[in-house]
Amino acid sequence: MSGARLMLVEDEAHLAEVVSDNLELEGWSVDVVGDGAVALERIRSERPDLVLLDVMLPGMDGFHVCDALRKEGNRVPILFMTAKGSRDDRVHGLELGGDDYLPKPFDLTELILRVRAILRRSEWMATPSDAGDVLLLGDVRVDIKGCSVQRGGRTLELSPKEALILRCLAERPGDVVTRAEIVQRVWGYDAFPTLRTVDNFIVRLRRLVEPDAKEPRYIHTVRGSGYRLTP
Amino acid sequence: MTPTAAPVDLRRPVRGPLWVFGLIVLLYAALISWWVVFFSRQGDVLMARLKVAGSAPDEVTRQALYEATYEWSRMFMFEGGFMGLLLLASMGLVLRSIRQDVALARRQRDFVSAVTHELRSPLASIRLYLDSLLMGRAEGEKAQRYLKHARLDVDRLSRLVEEVLTTRALAEGVHEVHLEDVDLAEIASRVAARLAELHPGARLDVSTAEPAWVRADTHAVERILDNLVSNAVKYAGQEGPIRVEVVPTSGGARLAVIDRGPGLRGARPKDLTAAFFRGQNENVRTHPGVGLGLFVVRSLTEAQGGHLELLDRAGGAGLTVAVSLPHADGRPPDAAPSDARPAAPADTHAAAPSDTPPEASA
Repeated sequence: MSGARLMLVEDEAHLAEVVSDNLELEGWSVDVVGDGAVALERIRSERPDLVLLDVMLPGMDGFHVCDALRKEGNRVPILFMTAKGSRDDRVHGLELGGDDYLPKPFDLTELILRVRAILRRSEWMATPSDAGDVLLLGDVRVDIKGCSVQRGGRTLELSPKEALILRCLAERPGDVVTRAEIVQRVWGYDAFPTLRTVDNFIVRLRRLVEPDAKEPRYIHTVRGSGYRLTP
Repeated sequence: MTPTAAPVDLRRPVRGPLWVFGLIVLLYAALISWWVVFFSRQGDVLMARLKVAGSAPDEVTRQALYEATYEWSRMFMFEGGFMGLLLLASMGLVLRSIRQDVALARRQRDFVSAVTHELRSPLASIRLYLDSLLMGRAEGEKAQRYLKHARLDVDRLSRLVEEVLTTRALAEGVHEVHLEDVDLAEIASRVAARLAELHPGARLDVSTAEPAWVRADTHAVERILDNLVSNAVKYAGQEGPIRVEVVPTSGGARLAVIDRGPGLRGARPKDLTAAFFRGQNENVRTHPGVGLGLFVVRSLTEAQGGHLELLDRAGGAGLTVAVSLPHADGRPPDAAPSDARPAAPADTHAAAPSDTPPEASA
């Protein structure tokens, strides 16, 4: 996705210099901000295609920036790029709605691959699906592009990841889609710790779309392999 | 002379058996209360016993008995009260140590977080600079700039490592200072000139009009000044000039770094110079650093027999950090520097600022 507009939120001048130089070499334009609170305002007003977000920042920390954006419904892809690399920090960042998490110090090639993977996913999300943008499962109407579920007169929200998983399954109805394939298409480069994570997302999706989550009628588990959607 | 700095206790106070201690204190307090009540009622008890035994005591016996029990109870109440106060005082001490323990634990957690950031950020940029060079993504002037910046990041890592190691040596009481007679003014001018190059954006005003001989460790003084000026640049570099001054005093000499930043803002100097002191939220980086700079400054100053003062700048916003160091040996405390040194170390200083002081003063 050439020409994408990226925002790099990093207060370390040297790191900001070398990262932005390299991302620009890939054909992306990069806006560098060194303060969390300023970044939040700029993301709201400038709507970049991707935010590379440090966690330990002046003004406001990166976790709060991400949380604030997600709470107001802003779904800009966020790649955390931080010195806080423990498993708890990674899980926290992803739970808050981060799309990927890259602990410092990292490899230049890896950074570029991950940015490319996130941009590809958001591009995939933006293009019309073969299965259409709306999925009907009984009396449940899923708006994949709008990330919402209408059920019994109520509108429930889908996270972008949940919407992508449903899209993955809906594009090949009746076929088995493996967990590895879901991880590859939804998370891209090996961002997530385990394949079990997909199972957790499926559990939540079943609660949203199945009449009875314990006896699934639409999203079936194929033992030892993956999942199958039968609309 | 290589005295060793007194160890600085950075360990967390022992916490495990504290609740047992608290329980024992409460039991003691209850026992003493019961004891006081028992003895104050002892006269009535004895009288009741005499009545039960059928013998009615005469008035004199009755009076003597009451006086005796009154004396006992007074004695026991006094002793019991004293013991109680002691126990309350010790409880207060225990509570205080718990509070200190909690505060230190929080500072240490924030410290680990800050060190993680301070180590990983320069490492990350060094790695990316090198990756860019190896992959041929930077050439010519850009490649030179990358190398220069990577070198600065290596310096930053070295300083951090040295700060952490010094703190450890100070904590274990194995940090040595090599005291000799040095001209504080000469060290200050030399270090300030180097720091001015390192921080081209900051304005450094150096005032070291006359030599100021003190008994100190050159390396320690250099590190003190380095830390103080770096702090001033960090917190107040944009706010105006940073003044470095050396003034001879009756007790030796005083090195002060004066900035025009926000000053103490109500913070206690004691807290600012404690190890691992940083802001409240570990993720919000108010300023770079790990919270050891002023602690190292204070410890090194005290190891040289000097003392550190932090005060709001007189006549406006800003902070003054002053390090007072004792006189060089063999000099009368109140003599002006040039009078006390007929061998002309002052002239030597004026002619060649980097000369070492003469041995005659030792």
